[in-house]
Amino acid sequence: MSAFWQGLKSFLQERGGEILNALGEHVYLTMAAMGMAIVLAVPVGLILTRAKRADKVVLGIVGVIQTLPSLALVGLMVPLLGAGPKAAIAALFLYALLPIVRNSYTGVRNIDPAITETARAMGMTSREILFRVELPLSVPIIMAGVRTSTVICVGVATLGGVVGAGGLGELIWIGIDRAEDALIFAGALPAMGLALLLDWVLSVGEWLFTPAGMREDKGSAQAGA
Amino acid sequence: MKMARILFVVVVVVLIGVAVYFGTRGQRGDLVVGGKNFTEQTILGEMAAQLIEDRLDLRVTRKFHLQTNLPIKMIQRGELSLYPDYTGTGYTDILDNTYQGEPPEEIYAHVKRVYPEEFDLEWLKPLGFENAYSLTMRAEQAEELGIEKISDLEEHTDALQAGFDPAFLDRQDGYPGLVEHYGFEFETPPKQLAIGLMYRACKEGEVDVIDAFTTDGRIDKFNLKILEDDKRFFPPYDAAFVVRQDALEKYPELRETLNLLAGRIDTKSMQRLNYAVDEEKRREEDVAREFLVDQGLLSAQGE
Repeated sequence: MSAFWQGLKSFLQERGGEILNALGEHVYLTMAAMGMAIVLAVPVGLILTRAKRADKVVLGIVGVIQTLPSLALVGLMVPLLGAGPKAAIAALFLYALLPIVRNSYTGVRNIDPAITETARAMGMTSREILFRVELPLSVPIIMAGVRTSTVICVGVATLGGVVGAGGLGELIWIGIDRAEDALIFAGALPAMGLALLLDWVLSVGEWLFTPAGMREDKGSAQAGA
Repeated sequence: MKMARILFVVVVVVLIGVAVYFGTRGQRGDLVVGGKNFTEQTILGEMAAQLIEDRLDLRVTRKFHLQTNLPIKMIQRGELSLYPDYTGTGYTDILDNTYQGEPPEEIYAHVKRVYPEEFDLEWLKPLGFENAYSLTMRAEQAEELGIEKISDLEEHTDALQAGFDPAFLDRQDGYPGLVEHYGFEFETPPKQLAIGLMYRACKEGEVDVIDAFTTDGRIDKFNLKILEDDKRFFPPYDAAFVVRQDALEKYPELRETLNLLAGRIDTKSMQRLNYAVDEEKRREEDVAREFLVDQGLLSAQGE
């Protein structure tokens, strides 16, 4: 058994730098794509709640994008953007859209009509209702979409290794090319860790920034606003 | 609560910082050295990168493990400054010519002449070895079946399972062209294998015939036999660096620095270096550095 730990230790000593580098590149790919996706997808999802017929069409389009095999999507970006991180980020961005758009949309749509009616009765404009009632109430669902997209992103970003985008995927591909299982794990395990870490950070963020009155955890103090 | 929120914001800022740092790293190199997705390319690329860093004091970004057909596209777009390639690949796969048995010097002369005109790229001096496609089998099976040359396979196409890498299955200087040239094909379609997996698969009998790269150290060690290309299908594949002309102009000493390797790497040496990485599991950069030091090409005493 100690031979295993010895082996592991020397492997990490040799490859540790490479792994950290790949991890850093992976963070870049994921966050660049997610950043752009959130900025576009949340407003689009919200706007769609106000668009009577366009909503089905847009959701349909975004849904179709998701059905494209991710490897194909990444590959198709290469002739457009050249081989490298840009192609991977573009593909990841497109892939991340659906969960966020859909959740932003349904988050608002599923709000109890009684609440919005009350708000309207109080004289709030459509925009006020959106920002002060519907959006805050949809945060949990929107965040769920963001978290889903983020985890998917980390996984799909490994395909970047095929198009020269760097990241943990490159380690995995080298491992496959050279039949070196250790390298495959060296790429896959940090990717899992990163996905879990980002998911956790997002859930903490959601909790921290949800107004106390709206939190569902037991024993939440009835502190003022 | 306030503390927790601040801490959270700090974590997010750190993540963004990491992302930005790694995102802009590519822009910070002076030259970009590329390599295809097999060991030899990484070793040669490392040699080039280390020579440049050591002698020209420039920052080098490495982009290795690229799918085989990417480097030629990337270098034309300026995403790479240089990468190692093989004359036969340039002649047939990239320039689309059909090899008709010309001697190696002619193939080299052709690509040397055409590349600047077509691509604004230059071939530097040959490194001293050739790494060719081949058809290779287990030595004992070849002896058993009396197979010495590729033509001998024709009688056994029903009994043999081939395993080829994806590029070989697609290129004109690969399986499709071979089938045309020799006039036979395998009855059972060849399996598609990653380059690094082929040698072991052949050794262990999962496949019988592979498109071994002639400088792979495993051919010898695994007791594999390269079949004679009796109908001269495969072109010569002399190895040399392909460099962007604007990089050569921008850094006038680049040419001379890389040409330090000209003629210094013979087939045996390349096989030995490949084997050290593939089977002894050493790192490409160490193996490359060791070679350069042995040749007296690194001015400093390593890093």
